[in-house]
Amino acid sequence: MTTYTFHVTGTHCASCKILIEDILNEQDFIKKLRVDLKEETVEIETDSNQSAEEIANVLTNKLKPNGYALSVEKITQEKINDSVTWEAILLGLVFLILFFILQKSGILNLGIGGKITPVTSFIIGLIASVSSCLAIVGGLVLSLSAKISQDEVSDTKTFLLFHTGRLVSFALLGGILGLIGDAIGISFTFSAILGLVASIVMLLLGLNLVGVFAKNKIALPSGIFQKVFSVFRRIEHKTFTPLVIGFGTFFLPCGFTQSMQVAAISSGSFVSGLLIMFTFALGTLPMLAFLSFGSASFAHGKHALLFFKSAGVVVIGLSIFALLAGLAGLGIINPLFSV
Amino acid sequence: MSKTVSIIITLGLVAGIGIIFVGDFKKDNTNIESAQSVEIKDGVQYITINARGGYFPRITEAKNGIPTKLIMKTNGTYDCSASLVIRSIGYQQILPQTGETEIDLGTPKSGEPLRGVCSMGMYSFIINFS
Repeated sequence: MTTYTFHVTGTHCASCKILIEDILNEQDFIKKLRVDLKEETVEIETDSNQSAEEIANVLTNKLKPNGYALSVEKITQEKINDSVTWEAILLGLVFLILFFILQKSGILNLGIGGKITPVTSFIIGLIASVSSCLAIVGGLVLSLSAKISQDEVSDTKTFLLFHTGRLVSFALLGGILGLIGDAIGISFTFSAILGLVASIVMLLLGLNLVGVFAKNKIALPSGIFQKVFSVFRRIEHKTFTPLVIGFGTFFLPCGFTQSMQVAAISSGSFVSGLLIMFTFALGTLPMLAFLSFGSASFAHGKHALLFFKSAGVVVIGLSIFALLAGLAGLGIINPLFSV
Repeated sequence: MSKTVSIIITLGLVAGIGIIFVGDFKKDNTNIESAQSVEIKDGVQYITINARGGYFPRITEAKNGIPTKLIMKTNGTYDCSASLVIRSIGYQQILPQTGETEIDLGTPKSGEPLRGVCSMGMYSFIINFS
């Protein structure tokens, strides 16, 4: 009988202890087990002849689906964390400034006159994808993508599903708008509330990416955040979730999307409404695909930690912007700024 | 990079964002447009506001106590400023991409400014009546 102590990473909540114990107790070769969340260690007694490294690997494979990992050596993130955090804040802020300067410059306000054809709606989609709509749709895509890549779920498949869901639902809903010729679902208040929800989700994910919650995880044992995150953790593994989120982006507040919806309504037929919304979504695709697949490639690269933290800073900035704007749009607060 | 340097640059960048938000780069334009945007014809006050990439002029001074109509001018407008919300009169519409939309404001009272925002809330305008 040998006793090993492993370091555990990924424990974000008090209930993690129970989950880890449940999974490890299923393993026959473990006789006795103790999880210490405060020290982030797992102590096991075993009759296995394998080396500590081998056992850590075997157990990590069992725990991986839930986001935990065991290691023999303590993963020393603490020291580099501090300087990386500051670099990440800098990078994130530089990106935010560039983004807001681009908005303020008026470059994106070019007028496109005449009738809307699939070609013009594609161009409008391209513009929309770097406009202030990026704050909410892009911010949501970036935060979800980074979070998914961080959890190392099969991210490519998830992203493909999201973008497919988005393209298909834009086409279908556009067609329906053209067919009925009436404003279904274009209630300003509804989409504004949806926007608020999205920006709160972004804010939480952003804080999580920067690592604010990681430091306080013991201090918030059963807080509402943990519950929200465990719900996320569970639903983001399902196939239909990215599809549904892709569908939901149709209703997110974005002036360009709303204009195109009106264009689809007045187009008067299923096919033309479908074409307008589909080409619009196609126009937004390059930027959104860059955000999601870009995060995946960064997440598996050398500067993963820096990327996650910078993305977190960007997402927090965008979500605060979207939140304040959304509240002003609903008339709850006076507009604080005008971009 | 040393931590102190990072902190100093960070503070600088935060100040930069503040300037972008609060600063009004188009101030001069606003004043010129504001002078021309209010017109009284046959006892009716017409206030014109251009909507594209925001609302111009942002601040308008108009007279109270006479029938007033707001004219929203759009010209190839696809951004958020096309979806206009004026809470105080319960107005919510997506303006046509190009054209003029007339909105009846009744007879405004002094000291009750009219505020319009776009549906996402990042563009706004205000009309003061006095």
